[in-house]
Amino acid sequence: MARFVAKRIVGAAVVLFAISVIVFLIFNVIPSSDPAQNLAGKNATPTLVASITEEWGLDEPLPQQYLTMMRKIFTGDLISYEGREDVNERILEGVPATFSLCIGAALIWMFFGILFGYLSAVRAGGLLDRALTMVAVTGISIPVFWLAAIFLNYLTYQLELFPSGTYVPLTENPAEWANHLFLPWVTLAIGFIGIYSRVLRSNMLDAMNEDYVRTARAKGLSEHRVMSRHVLRNSLVPIVTLFGLDFGALLGGAIVVEGVFNLDGIGLYTFESLVNQDLPPVMAVVVFGAFFIVLFNALVDIAYAFLDPRVKLGEAAR
Amino acid sequence: MSAALLSVRDLRVRFATDGGHVQAVDGVSFDLAAGEVLAVVGESGSGKSVTAGTIMGLTHSPNARIEGSVRLDGRKLLDADEAELRRVRGDRIGMVFQDPMTSFNPVYRIGDQLVEAIRAHRPGLGRDAARDLAVESLDAVGLPEARRRAERYPHEFSGGMRQRAMIAMALALEPEVLIADEPTTALDVTVQAQILALLRRLHRERGLATILITHDLGVVAEVADRALVMHEGRIVERGSLEEVFYSPKDPYTRKLLGAVVRLDRAAPLRPARGTGPLLEVAGLVKHFPLKRGLLTERKADRVRAVDGVSFSVARGETLGLVGESGSGKSTLARTVLQLLAPTSGSVRFEGREIAGLSRRQMRPLRAEMQMVFQDPYASLNPRKRIGQIVAEPLRLHGRATGAELRRQVEELLERVGLAPEHYDRFPHEFSGGQRQRVGIARALSLRPKLIVADEPVSALDVSIRAQILALLADLQEELGLTYVFVAHDIGVVRHVADRIAVMHEGRIVEQGPADRVCERPSDPYTKSLLAAVPVPDPRESRARRASSDT
Amino acid sequence: MEGRSPWYLAYRRLRRNRVALAFGALFLAIVLFVLAAPLWASRVADTGPNETHTTERVEVGGEQREVVNREGRPIGPLWLGAGGKFFLGADGRLGRDEMVRLMYGGRTSLLVGFLSTLIATLLATTLGLLAGYYRGWADTVISRSLDVIWAFPVTLLAIALGLALATGGLQIGPLELSSGSIWIPILIIAFVYTPYMARPIRGEVLALREKEFVEAAVAQGAGPLRVMFGELLPNLLSTLIVFFTLGVAQNMLLESMLSFLGVGVQAPNTSWGTMIGDGFELISTAPLLTVVPGTMILLTVLAINIVGDGLRDALDPKSKVRIEARTGIAERKGTAV
Repeated sequence: MARFVAKRIVGAAVVLFAISVIVFLIFNVIPSSDPAQNLAGKNATPTLVASITEEWGLDEPLPQQYLTMMRKIFTGDLISYEGREDVNERILEGVPATFSLCIGAALIWMFFGILFGYLSAVRAGGLLDRALTMVAVTGISIPVFWLAAIFLNYLTYQLELFPSGTYVPLTENPAEWANHLFLPWVTLAIGFIGIYSRVLRSNMLDAMNEDYVRTARAKGLSEHRVMSRHVLRNSLVPIVTLFGLDFGALLGGAIVVEGVFNLDGIGLYTFESLVNQDLPPVMAVVVFGAFFIVLFNALVDIAYAFLDPRVKLGEAAR
Repeated sequence: MSAALLSVRDLRVRFATDGGHVQAVDGVSFDLAAGEVLAVVGESGSGKSVTAGTIMGLTHSPNARIEGSVRLDGRKLLDADEAELRRVRGDRIGMVFQDPMTSFNPVYRIGDQLVEAIRAHRPGLGRDAARDLAVESLDAVGLPEARRRAERYPHEFSGGMRQRAMIAMALALEPEVLIADEPTTALDVTVQAQILALLRRLHRERGLATILITHDLGVVAEVADRALVMHEGRIVERGSLEEVFYSPKDPYTRKLLGAVVRLDRAAPLRPARGTGPLLEVAGLVKHFPLKRGLLTERKADRVRAVDGVSFSVARGETLGLVGESGSGKSTLARTVLQLLAPTSGSVRFEGREIAGLSRRQMRPLRAEMQMVFQDPYASLNPRKRIGQIVAEPLRLHGRATGAELRRQVEELLERVGLAPEHYDRFPHEFSGGQRQRVGIARALSLRPKLIVADEPVSALDVSIRAQILALLADLQEELGLTYVFVAHDIGVVRHVADRIAVMHEGRIVEQGPADRVCERPSDPYTKSLLAAVPVPDPRESRARRASSDT
Repeated sequence: MEGRSPWYLAYRRLRRNRVALAFGALFLAIVLFVLAAPLWASRVADTGPNETHTTERVEVGGEQREVVNREGRPIGPLWLGAGGKFFLGADGRLGRDEMVRLMYGGRTSLLVGFLSTLIATLLATTLGLLAGYYRGWADTVISRSLDVIWAFPVTLLAIALGLALATGGLQIGPLELSSGSIWIPILIIAFVYTPYMARPIRGEVLALREKEFVEAAVAQGAGPLRVMFGELLPNLLSTLIVFFTLGVAQNMLLESMLSFLGVGVQAPNTSWGTMIGDGFELISTAPLLTVVPGTMILLTVLAINIVGDGLRDALDPKSKVRIEARTGIAERKGTAV
């Protein structure tokens, strides 16, 4: 087991290095225009461009440039030339809102995704199944940002069912915190509910055809027990890995949802920077976001090993 | 005659499928008396498994229509409600399935799965008491260190031990009836012998009424008291073993018995073969390295599939290569044909060294040696028509084109017993036996001198096997072919081979003329292999057991 | 005697799926709609997608109305009130014809979604075949490279690429593209999507490779190319078709999000995503500018997803009925052995 964990961590480190190189290539190498110009942003003056070139070492060889860029990002030396502020500080400020949004949405979609998937599978072919399937397919076909805009306009502005305005910290006022986050949670969760319910349904239908389910029935177990302890249990395992993957898509969704609903998180900061074509903040968010996801996935893999004994014991048992 | 414990009357099961209705079980009636072992024999598609499943109420898909009656001890089972059926399942009727690997849930420990079965029917039993009962059951089936083993997962058991655990689970609650659906089919022949002995012992000790479903008449002869023969959903023959084996009335039963290839009957004498070795293998080794971690690759981590094998095959001769699963016989077959690159050793074909040749160098030689594969379903590309499949080698080697190509392929199809008009059909439109014929036609197309057949009849039904073996024999006669015939069933091999080589753990432990190896084996492994093969003859079987029982 | 190929059987199954067929028809209707863009632009609306009409007026029911009024508020949907001009109204301060933009935007959205997925499919198939067939170091190199891209959260990677290239254009060796080129979003999406397809394709190739019919081809002397394209590829096609279809749906959504954020399709090109981005500013006063393009995306993606599901069910049906030995059935179908 220890060997498995070590392998996974080393693997993650290699991937992280590769990601940092890719980010470097994306921003400094492949664009056809001058990177200093791009960094300076919209209000670029020749003096600014020159000082950026100096600061970022853009006239030095590429490996040196790479190191400079990484140093700036990780030591918090990054400033946005557009807004004249420290990038890493702004990012840290945005963490509570973004976490509240993502974790809340994740809990909602996990619950409903698994519930709908389970119901669909157990009543496969019936009316409930077909209705839930339709709901799921629609859910994965809606553009998240558009749904956010629609909700914002009709539910918040027109009908005034929900408050507009920004994020209210949990520590300040829990009720308002939830109230302001409700629509964003739903918007973000809808697409994932669709994905997860379909995946679970499919996994469960496959599991129901497996030999060990036949054995469970032959033992005289109640249908409920067969479904929960055998079918569901085995079907949930792939969902765990899926969750790790989807966290990445979640970050993308957070950008547009925070942007539309004006929630003061990392996503909103990214959204504004994109609209203003301000590079440094996006650079930092991309690097930190990717790092977070990779580490998270490594943890998920290790957790997976605990769930599936074949993986855990794979190295030992021959 | 004791009163019937289980009584089935006029059972009918019909499935609605893509291609119309299938009457899987068509009016089956029989009785099972307490304490007797009833064998239900049939080939695939005969309806035997569906019958067993339906008795337990396990066939309840929406596409199934079930009629008839099943009574256990006078109480109706078929129409009983779900709750009633559940009480019966596991408690009064236990079931053992064919594949123990997939029949256990891989994520739970074996002990836990037994405990689950126990507590479902004895809710009053505490966890510790249930665990003790589980361990007792595992012990009773001969599983060593039962208490420790119960803490392990299914994939940590060998096939034989898993099946024992499965039997333990089925019998833990001391049911009155045991239904065993092909319990030994997925096991090696030596392990099969052990499981059959176990079943016999349990039956003796507990007086358990058993329904044993199988296609293997040898197994029937070893274990059963009475037998039913099923064909296309109906019972065509029934009676005691004596009656069914020695005076069968139904033509299908007679055909089945006739098709069974027996170990103790020598193959008909064949005319003398051509001289000179066609194939010479010396010191052949094939190792597979196991990748360990990121860095080291220790020498110990290697699978020694073929570990120094030497033999030769004379022109026109058939060499039978026998071994159980894991013996390395399939790897050997592929390495000889250079489908796998040998790790070391020599392979000479017509005097020429072919081991280690590059793909380009091998190409012209490929026409001289071909392979027939085991699985009729996986050995033909499902997206190609069978005519295309047989034509492919000819096209590849530029032997013919256009109309001439088609003519040659049609000729080949006819030679293997298929209708040439079926040129444009797809593999899925044929039966297993027919597909195997296509595979043979494909192998013959380049007019090879050597054919290596890897378990060519193992995946086929008993009655079909004889036909395919006859075809292979005819072709050898007609075309002067040399065969290397790989199989796990030594009975089949004896029937076709001139000489036999027995493989065990990557080495040949014995080789020699077929009759000598089968009647006077010198190696202990060969002896145990021969002793384990069930003889499809009840009197023989009893005699053997009497002499070997301690 | 003509045989019934697996494709024919799949076609029959698809035909029975009414829902999939209905949504397939919807998709075709949408395609026709966007193809009619030039016709509508020249014959009905008499304007292009980028022509501004800020200071102009249009005649509606006898009276002249400003396209964009003094407060900057655009004219609402006229439907057929002006003979089809400004059918859906004007799109904001620039006074462009929303309907015309909708149709041209649709062409772009579909084009980007389709081409990016096509490129990704071709790349993924090639890489998957090479990695799965050769294994060894080719597999290691390809798989590790794909893994890195794959580990990068898709949207973040696409956004980063979009931002960098939208501001700066692209230059890798001989390949040079200006920042407004439509090929930039196409290539970005193809690049980030390729690993998602390549992984499962490689998995299937690995599984197929073990099948005996592949061994048979090698035993006949077939070389790697022949095995890959003659034996493996035909058996991959059904998976590829399903992946492609569902991929187009996925990528249309990705493109629309990137364009909404301003890092996807750039001016002067229009897509449904950019239209939503433009319309978002005026959401309380002219909600239609946001609702309509989004609804088009929803309908199109929904239709493609349902057709994709239908194709998957038709090409690879999993029988829920366990009949003992399907061989038994085939035994009866075919002629006697």
